[in-house]
Amino acid sequence: MARTQVTIDFETSHLIFPTIIATVLTLLFLTIVIRDRSRIAGSGAYWRQTFASMDKVRFFGTLVLTLIYFWLMVPVGNMWPNTGMGFLICSVPYVFAVGLLYLHERSLRNMIPVAIMAAVAPPLAWWLFSYIFFLSLP
Amino acid sequence: MFEFITPLFCLLIIGGTFLGIIFGSIPGLTATMAVAVCLPLTFPLGLENGLALLLGLYVGGISGGLVPAVLLGIPGTPSSITTTFDGFPMAASGEGEKALRIGIVSSFVGGLISLGILFAFAPTLARFAIEFSYVEKFLIILFALTVMAALSKDLLLGIFSGVLGIFLSLIGRYDISDGGNGKMRLVPQEWDYYLDNGFSLLPVLIGLFGLAAILEQAEIGVPKGHSREDLKVGGESTFSFGIFRNQAGNLARSSFIGTFVGILPGVGGSAASLLGYSNAKTFSKHPQTFGKGEPAGIVASESANNGLTGGALVPLLSLGIPGDATTAILVGAFTLQGIQVGPLFIGNNPDTWNAMIIAMLLANVAMFMMMYIAIRHMALVVTVPKHILFPIILMMCVVGAYTINYGIMFDVWTLLIFGILGWLMVKLRLEVAPFIIGFILGPSSEVYFVKSLESFGDLTIFFTKSWIAVVLWILIIGSLVGSFYMSRRNADQNASGRAVG
Repeated sequence: MARTQVTIDFETSHLIFPTIIATVLTLLFLTIVIRDRSRIAGSGAYWRQTFASMDKVRFFGTLVLTLIYFWLMVPVGNMWPNTGMGFLICSVPYVFAVGLLYLHERSLRNMIPVAIMAAVAPPLAWWLFSYIFFLSLP
Repeated sequence: MFEFITPLFCLLIIGGTFLGIIFGSIPGLTATMAVAVCLPLTFPLGLENGLALLLGLYVGGISGGLVPAVLLGIPGTPSSITTTFDGFPMAASGEGEKALRIGIVSSFVGGLISLGILFAFAPTLARFAIEFSYVEKFLIILFALTVMAALSKDLLLGIFSGVLGIFLSLIGRYDISDGGNGKMRLVPQEWDYYLDNGFSLLPVLIGLFGLAAILEQAEIGVPKGHSREDLKVGGESTFSFGIFRNQAGNLARSSFIGTFVGILPGVGGSAASLLGYSNAKTFSKHPQTFGKGEPAGIVASESANNGLTGGALVPLLSLGIPGDATTAILVGAFTLQGIQVGPLFIGNNPDTWNAMIIAMLLANVAMFMMMYIAIRHMALVVTVPKHILFPIILMMCVVGAYTINYGIMFDVWTLLIFGILGWLMVKLRLEVAPFIIGFILGPSSEVYFVKSLESFGDLTIFFTKSWIAVVLWILIIGSLVGSFYMSRRNADQNASGRAVG
């Protein structure tokens, strides 16, 4: 049997390609680590600079609000099953809070359009997807 | 033959193009994001109508980028970077409207030329590709990934990104319908329930192109929108079509360059417009005027980036390989409707193929009409405040991720995971385009690779199956060697530049 000949065992065939790809990925990773070792060694300064220059309130605020939004949608939706209420009830404050977070001058005048948008957009999306497109929402 | 042309079909093209122009016009939003966010809307619309909406978004999104590029000097999309070079100086000297009209006409011509090439070339390529066996199909994917990686900013990181995309696509069950053994891999046992089919494509796309883009904007503080006073539209237009009298060569060349770049898998619009612009400068009789308000620069940039639209659809519809990130999302639209794109697509779905051509044509016409006639009003879309748009986009991301598989909450978490991953990838200088195309093509490449070995039982089959396989290997090696040589040359030039400095 020539060295290039291979027999595929059907029972383990699901592992062949992932093993090859994982090996290639590891080799590439090691090559990158060796090539960019000085840059990687100095990456602490890069990340410090990234975090120093970032708008932490807006960045982490987006992440935290989104996490809470995702987290609450299902339990709230379970109170009124199969109605999409979890999406609707959670989206209104989420859209309003993110809008406020991104607003630069938080005067009452500037907050009114944000509030109108939060009051209109989620119910519109809920109505469109639930009643027109018949798609399920949380 | 053309039963799909209904009032709804036309309305979706017009609406999609309009929405696409808005996305393209607002820096930070892209055509890719527009298509990703609106993808779930196509679910109940059916394939033809859904594609009408998405192609309108695509053409509008690519074209809209020229508005802020000219009026603010900020590219609305990466593909309009070179439009700023001459568009903004023209606007600064009171010729904003003229510069916009030059860009719109060039975009229109570029879009039509690329559409013509798509119409002529894709069916021929598909007929040729029908003959391909698993071996050639696997090598085509390998070639696509190496071309993408070779044209990345960093060859090694480009390849790594593509392979990482393939690796993550293999998570889950080796599907029996693909000829697999139905066993799970790469998943901890407690996650079996969630990852039975791996990460769903559409939440991954929406996360990478929707949430990640907004996180990038949040990181820089969601820059304040622009007011009407910031827009340098200028006085009465002095535009006339006579400007194009000496630009026919430039227009045709740049459109062809854009289309060709589009055909190369995973290469974005910025490469198309840069290549078109640098060629126009090289062939110009007065290259010194480029960058100072030269109309030829806008012609080259805009015809090249719109040339990309038709070109990027060629490999998608003939080989099943997306030409760029936006067309990668179109794969999702086909998946939603249960249709597989590949060599058999055009022959088996002539109505859908016709619908796509007509939709692209109408989207280009709609874009031209909207932007050319109502240019002063369209320019105002740049002023739409981000604090109004972004929360709605985030909410639509959730709707899209949740509804795509009939209501699975894990898909919403997938959206968050890949949104954060997309943000991190930019920080780590990894390339999103090779990653996503690797993710899309990963499962097919596995099937083609394993089936090739099962059928022939010899590794040499990948080199000896046919002359096409040999040609593909030459192209694969050529693209890698060429890229390596270019990166070395650039490194040497940078080093000598620093030494001189």
